[in-house]
Amino acid sequence: MIENYELELARLAMDIAAQEGAQKCRVCLSKSVSDIFSTLDGEIDKVSHCMDRGLSLTLFVDGRFGTFSTNQLDEASLRDFVRKAVNMTRILATDQLRDLPDPARCCTKAGSGDELGLYDPAYAKVSADQRSAMALQAAVTGRIPDTPAYKLISEEGEYSDSEFDAVTLDSGGLFCRHKETSFEYGVEVTVEAPDGSKYSGFWWESSPRLDGLRTDEVGRKAVARAAAQIGSQPFPGGKYTMVVDTDVASRLVTPVLNALGGYSLQQGNSFMNGTLGQQVFGESVTIIDDCHIAGQSGSRLFDSEGVATAPGPVIENGVVKEYFINTYISRKMEIAPTIEDCTRAHLLPFGGVSDREAILRKCGEGILVTGFNGGNCNSATGDFSYGIEGFRFENGKIVSPVSGMLITGNFRELWKNLIAAGDDARPCMAKLIPTLAFTNVDFNG
Amino acid sequence: MVSNLMLRDGEVSSGGLTVDYGCGVRVLEGEKTGYAYSESTDMRSLLEAARAAGAIAGKDSFASLGMTKKGLEMTNKLSSRPSNRGPRQLQIGGVKQASGEIPNFYPMQRDWRTCNPADFVEGLHKLESLIRAKDSRVAKVIALLGYSVSEILMYNSLDELTSDLRPMASLSVQVVYQSKGSVQTKSASRSFRMGVEFFTDELINEVATEATAGIDAMFEARRPAGGQMSVVMGAGASGILLHEAMGHAFEADFNRKGQSIFAGKIGQQICRKGINIVDDGTLPFFRGSCNFDDEGVPGQKTYMVTDGVLTSYLHDRISANYYGVAPTGNGRRESFRYNPIPRMRSTYMENGADGTVEDLIKMAGNGIYVDEFANGEVKIGEGDFTFYVKSGFLIEDGRLTMPVKDINIIGNGPQALSDIVAVAGDLKVDPGRWTCGKGQSAPVSCGIPSVLINNLTVGGGQ
Repeated sequence: MIENYELELARLAMDIAAQEGAQKCRVCLSKSVSDIFSTLDGEIDKVSHCMDRGLSLTLFVDGRFGTFSTNQLDEASLRDFVRKAVNMTRILATDQLRDLPDPARCCTKAGSGDELGLYDPAYAKVSADQRSAMALQAAVTGRIPDTPAYKLISEEGEYSDSEFDAVTLDSGGLFCRHKETSFEYGVEVTVEAPDGSKYSGFWWESSPRLDGLRTDEVGRKAVARAAAQIGSQPFPGGKYTMVVDTDVASRLVTPVLNALGGYSLQQGNSFMNGTLGQQVFGESVTIIDDCHIAGQSGSRLFDSEGVATAPGPVIENGVVKEYFINTYISRKMEIAPTIEDCTRAHLLPFGGVSDREAILRKCGEGILVTGFNGGNCNSATGDFSYGIEGFRFENGKIVSPVSGMLITGNFRELWKNLIAAGDDARPCMAKLIPTLAFTNVDFNG
Repeated sequence: MVSNLMLRDGEVSSGGLTVDYGCGVRVLEGEKTGYAYSESTDMRSLLEAARAAGAIAGKDSFASLGMTKKGLEMTNKLSSRPSNRGPRQLQIGGVKQASGEIPNFYPMQRDWRTCNPADFVEGLHKLESLIRAKDSRVAKVIALLGYSVSEILMYNSLDELTSDLRPMASLSVQVVYQSKGSVQTKSASRSFRMGVEFFTDELINEVATEATAGIDAMFEARRPAGGQMSVVMGAGASGILLHEAMGHAFEADFNRKGQSIFAGKIGQQICRKGINIVDDGTLPFFRGSCNFDDEGVPGQKTYMVTDGVLTSYLHDRISANYYGVAPTGNGRRESFRYNPIPRMRSTYMENGADGTVEDLIKMAGNGIYVDEFANGEVKIGEGDFTFYVKSGFLIEDGRLTMPVKDINIIGNGPQALSDIVAVAGDLKVDPGRWTCGKGQSAPVSCGIPSVLINNLTVGGGQ
């Protein structure tokens, strides 16, 4: 997708930067195309065609640092842009801790961009007619009969596919490329109950390969999820076992990963400060960075600095094994650099249960959370409070829908109470977090 | 053009510049939309985008144009540069306008594109010094000055040609406080559609004062017992609840599709008499203001609720055509990469006649007072919302007592609107850096006078 003349533009940007006085620089050139076919109530409603190409530039000039980007890539515009960027960098304060990463840590195995098998050549053969047909075939309006319990008010479907190609180069000789394709179908429905109340449901599937996309059940799942919420109401507050569906479980992992990030740690704004090597969570908790799974979106061979990613433990049996430390933060905190961020978090199974139903049976009774609605985590303390919706379950079976409730607690305490983790994480999601179960969670509503 | 300077660890040692250029083409076939864009405005790229967008019409409607006379006319129009003088209506119905001048809600005294970024470094240092001087518990300060200028030129098949120049400036600060092993963070921001004249000593003082206000209460705050209770929302930033929990449900696309809880309720009483809710694109210098929306419709003020009655949705041209009304100037988009959709601008409730905030606190008797929310989410169909309380106090016996933290308020938008029992006369439109996300981001403003709402659920400890 990125053509040779565009690679030369990226190299030209580095040359201009050097001519203007930059001692070091990094360039990332990215290009993407996507097509979106949206349906409304079973008919094509919107068609979008998107083409993007941009160049970002990281400059190191006389001990100073700046980041810049442009999408005007003709040579004259590029020369003007790089000149302005170098001049703007010169007005900043010196920061001798800024530098390119050690070349020994950088990725050398991403030359073609398709080493992880994320690029499907079939993308080039998909026609507009096929896209339209896939969007229409997946729609369920008129194919799902209304029931006495509800009628379908609205269905918004969206088929999309895209092609992405990015190259990162630096003045130290780095050359890394990442290419991938994506094929997605998602749908949001609104159903109306006999009393006029409305409920919405959403479902989606995606795959980096066209033949991996399954759209046939997406609409029905969205309708089922909306209809299941009919009549939902708060359940009396108290401490309950909480089961969190795999679709939304990453909401409870993201704050922990953010708190392990270098910028939060360095600014003293992290509830995971001082935990490296410490037993912070229960032994049930193991999260690895599973960044090299071939054929799964989210896998990457390098981070934004070009540093090579490597699979490994982030939390192992409750012990913190890794902070996410880039070159700059490493120098600021005087600790060894790792990687900029967790590439693809994967929480490993625990408790001998495979999926949601098995976990509900194991737990007996409690509240199953299938959606979060608002809330917050205090990044400095780990105190959290989130709105939730889901279902009350008893004897291992769902008995009634629940909404308008909150969970409150502290993440360091919550993760001590993980009693089960399934093996049902969806490969299409950015993080591989399965269905989870926690004891003694405060619910109120 | 977007630029920023950041102060961190006592130094302004990072900054950046972004240049973004392109043209979007939208084709309408009834209510159906075809959209494509190009990052180049040569005729070949424009026609390619037009053909892709024209596919919605069911035929290759633009392919037959080629480089016809019409195409050349379009090229000539698009190659004219947007005016640097502010908004201009250059052509209406194919007729060129003599001056084309229309009201400018955000004139720049000094253009950011002519400034030297070095001039702003001292101001960021001053902001940090002021903050540190006001509170000895300050551990870290991160301050960010961001500014941008967008040049917009719009042409449509009604032969309307409009031009706009949209500045935006923001000053934000995040402060980490440490005391006796406890850590708290506080943020403050100001953002306006202004030129370089935005960055004054007065503004820096304002931000420093806000970033250091209420810190004692933050350290003392506790999570209160939850339950159903009366809630007094303070004037200003509480307006985000009005935006999220009610405003989105007034957007006409959600209503046209039958998804909104307010669908089919135009003309109905939805809250107490005397309540007026407005979406306003004409407030001078506010983030939500638009000389033109992104469909070329002039900026205007729209009453959604008048005396408690739902009187209008927020329309783009598509929904206006569907409902048979005039567009309200709410067709907005993030950039040329997105098609316009109904979006809010500056959304607020007008003043009521129920006294002051102190009067409302007395009327509540017991409950909670909130003056700052964050991280709100709303489900448009159900109307259910949850908002995190950043700053608030318990109300006991008609007065403020214990500061509270780590709680949420949950409720249903239309129900909460109908449960408003008192509105004070202290309307404030918040000057902070609010950005609305609806698949694409858009700068907005929000505001509200102090209001008393009965029967909201406050989620706290057991």
